[in-house]
Amino acid sequence: MSDFEAVIGLELHIQLNTKSKMFSSAPVTFGKVPNSSVDYYDFAFPGTMPTVNKQAVIYALMMCNALHMIIDDVLMFERKNYFYSDLPKGYQLTQEFRPIGKNGYLTIKLNDSDIKINISRLHLEEDTCKQFHTKDYSYLDYNRAGIPLIEIVSAPEIKSGTEAAKYVEKIRSIVTYLGISDGKMEQGSLRCDVNVSLKRKGDNQFGTKVEIKNLNSISNIQKAIDFEIERQSELLCSGIEIAQETRRFDESLKETVLMRAKVDNVDYKCFTDNNIPPIKLSAEFIKAAIESSPELAESKLKRYVSLGLSESDASIILDDKDIANYFEEALASGCSIKLLANWVNVNVKSFINKRNVEIKDFPIKPNELSDLILLIQNSKINNVQAKFIFEKMIETGKDAQTIVEFMGLEQISNKNQLLNIVKKVIKDNSKSISDYLKGRNRALGYLAGQVMKQTGGKANPQLVNKLLLEEIQRRK
Amino acid sequence: MGYMSKGLLEIHNAIIKGEITPLELVKEAVSLALNDDNNAFEYICANEALEKVKRLDDSKKDSLLYGVPIVIKDNYSTKDIPTTASSNILNGYIPIFSSEVVLRLEEQGAIVIGKAAMDELAMGGTGTTGHLGMTYNPWDKSHKRIIGGSSSGSAAAISAGITPVSIGSDTGDSVRKPASYAGLVGFKPTWGRISRHGLFPFATSLDHVAYFTRNVFDSAYLLNILAGRDDKDASSSFEKVDDYTKDLNKSIKGKKIAIIKDIVESISDKTILDSFYKTVEYLRSKGAIVDEVEMDNKLLKAIYPTYFIISSSEATSNTACLDGIKFGNRVEGKTFEEVMINTRTKGFSSRIKRRFVIGSFSLFKENQQELFVRAQKCRRMIVNAFNKVFEEYDAIYCPAAPSIAPIVGSNNNNLSNEYLIADNYLAYGNMGGYPSITVPIGFEKNMPFGANLSSKPFQESLLLNIANILEEGTELKDLVAK
Repeated sequence: MSDFEAVIGLELHIQLNTKSKMFSSAPVTFGKVPNSSVDYYDFAFPGTMPTVNKQAVIYALMMCNALHMIIDDVLMFERKNYFYSDLPKGYQLTQEFRPIGKNGYLTIKLNDSDIKINISRLHLEEDTCKQFHTKDYSYLDYNRAGIPLIEIVSAPEIKSGTEAAKYVEKIRSIVTYLGISDGKMEQGSLRCDVNVSLKRKGDNQFGTKVEIKNLNSISNIQKAIDFEIERQSELLCSGIEIAQETRRFDESLKETVLMRAKVDNVDYKCFTDNNIPPIKLSAEFIKAAIESSPELAESKLKRYVSLGLSESDASIILDDKDIANYFEEALASGCSIKLLANWVNVNVKSFINKRNVEIKDFPIKPNELSDLILLIQNSKINNVQAKFIFEKMIETGKDAQTIVEFMGLEQISNKNQLLNIVKKVIKDNSKSISDYLKGRNRALGYLAGQVMKQTGGKANPQLVNKLLLEEIQRRK
Repeated sequence: MGYMSKGLLEIHNAIIKGEITPLELVKEAVSLALNDDNNAFEYICANEALEKVKRLDDSKKDSLLYGVPIVIKDNYSTKDIPTTASSNILNGYIPIFSSEVVLRLEEQGAIVIGKAAMDELAMGGTGTTGHLGMTYNPWDKSHKRIIGGSSSGSAAAISAGITPVSIGSDTGDSVRKPASYAGLVGFKPTWGRISRHGLFPFATSLDHVAYFTRNVFDSAYLLNILAGRDDKDASSSFEKVDDYTKDLNKSIKGKKIAIIKDIVESISDKTILDSFYKTVEYLRSKGAIVDEVEMDNKLLKAIYPTYFIISSSEATSNTACLDGIKFGNRVEGKTFEEVMINTRTKGFSSRIKRRFVIGSFSLFKENQQELFVRAQKCRRMIVNAFNKVFEEYDAIYCPAAPSIAPIVGSNNNNLSNEYLIADNYLAYGNMGGYPSITVPIGFEKNMPFGANLSSKPFQESLLLNIANILEEGTELKDLVAK
């Protein structure tokens, strides 16, 4: 391998979650009864005609902006002609000649350094039917036919499986944060085709390209590429030429396997569709679309770090857009960002993982969590109490303050009240004092525990520690 | 009896006066259609029409189409009525929706009594290539002469006096040429003026909704009904819709009309030329300024091949859904590819397949620049040349065809100027999307022939005005083959 370097290009197809389809008024749905979300046009009834979905155009513009692309302000569609069972009209409407976006980039982080990956084009098109094959029959589900897609084509300059995985993760994060797609690879709303070739280091000549299809997760993209680089370099080292072919990743073998040899490239006989006259996108329309974009993870990360959160904690929060939204809402209610991140990353996540639910089903509302944290911040309760209250909140649906009041849980932060108890504990446990003075630090914990016991766990732990130390010092 | 050979106004007045009822009109038309001997019909909607006329909404009583039987070319989608475009591949296809044109006509109270035969998938100009065979020209009782196509049945039905109007479609000259052979007014408004939704596409950039009437007034009246934006057709225009009947009798004094010299000069038929020049003198007598204008002969000769490359290329894609899996009568095979190949091989006639081969060949990557893109550039040059004429003139006026309806099987010299220019020039109207109308101007051997007027896009009012004045001069209106 060391003699070669990999040249990798990715083509991503991303389903947009618009209300209706790209060229018809049928609803975009997932998991509905087959062939129930369709219009005459999606079935390609002779004489039906396409009308462009404005929302899909807006979403594409948002994505072009997020990827720093040059936007074409004339919208046109071409027909890509080929015969296939899953293609209703016998052609797919796509933007062959004038993609809505071109020449953009994104940056990924790898080993603490930023890598810029160029993106050649982004265009709008329509999805095909979904096919199911049984032994004797093939079934077509037109619900998928006509769902808006954006295709994003990277420049062939990705160098490893890890880079490719980071690239896809970044795109996925952007589309989910923009709210234009759910970006779920396992459900096919984000699909990835990979082109891999090897060339000798320093050489300008590209090697023969192998295409890998049917990759259903980001980790498989990485594994498939790593395997493919290994496979191709072994072949090249043994003097065997790489065949131009399409392969797929076999999950059980953890290998890419041959799907079909690629003869010549298919000639799609593209030409412009005349049913959709060229649409001029006004500067105001493009501007409004861009300005309607929600904040991206990258920008949120910078903001959180500036508020004092560590980059790693922030990244964990931002990994999941729904959790990040929850976090954002709680943060707006005024609690400490560090405490909040801790509570969300530990307690909230452990609950939703254990119950296998989504954050939207989590019973504590963001502002209620913020209120709980504010009680900690203001020393009204301690962490042990907070955990207890947290569980009670889930159980009863009541807010923190109500639970605190109802159960008399408010923390004892009254110095005189605590001092009396501390003095009594010290008097009753003289052995522990001498242990502590001999250097057994654990003895202090034991004494604090005794104070907690006497107060029913309501004592302010910081204050208890402080008073204990003061009293012990005084007795030395 | 006998109302079906009249114009819309006469029929309407008869209804208003109570001389006849819509039910009687429909019965008359259906019975004439059932007795048709010109092979004009794919399907006669006898029961459907009688059902519909019984449920007619009399709030539309004032419409000239109220209760009026009409015929629709078989490439318009009609709900619950078989629609085959005269191709075997679509035998048995019953659409589940109606095209916008049909909806608008029915909304006015018109009753569809039949689907008209046509050249297969509208790809032909003779009316001889539909799967039911040749449509005859009603003016020739010996059934030797063609009526022209592709809107052959629509032309035959109205010239035989079966209905007063009929809907066709025009991609090259498919309404305007048969109109000349059948003694009818054949009108194709501007591209985008009428919604194409529901019209089976042949060549999207050239396809037009078009129709036949017996007089210019009826054409103007139909446009009032059919023109206007339809959100289902993104290419339909937002341009304001006029009352196209209101300017019909305006003076044409000072209107400038161009005759394209090379087109007229390529015609050898003396009778046609004489009649044509008589109409020119008449137009001048009405104050129009009529000039002969030169145009590059090479461009005129390029119209037909340019049309052929573009239309065949677009056709390959437009008919791709007819593959036996989505639509089209399936012929089985072991794989989906085999099903598609078998279905298309069996379903289309060899003439259609010839066009597909030419179209696909023109679109192949290695040929696209040389053929398809070159044809598009050529189209632009042709349109530029006509646009230049329209900069100075209100209309272009020429004979619609170099001859009366030919005898079937008669050989054309396909390389003659007459064939390449006069017989095929009308497609310039499709290339530029111009409104274009053919009206009868004379007879030869008891067969009618017509001339064609075209204007700038969306100038239908002016075009119909000139056509109406011309009709007054020729007195050739409401012709029915006897």
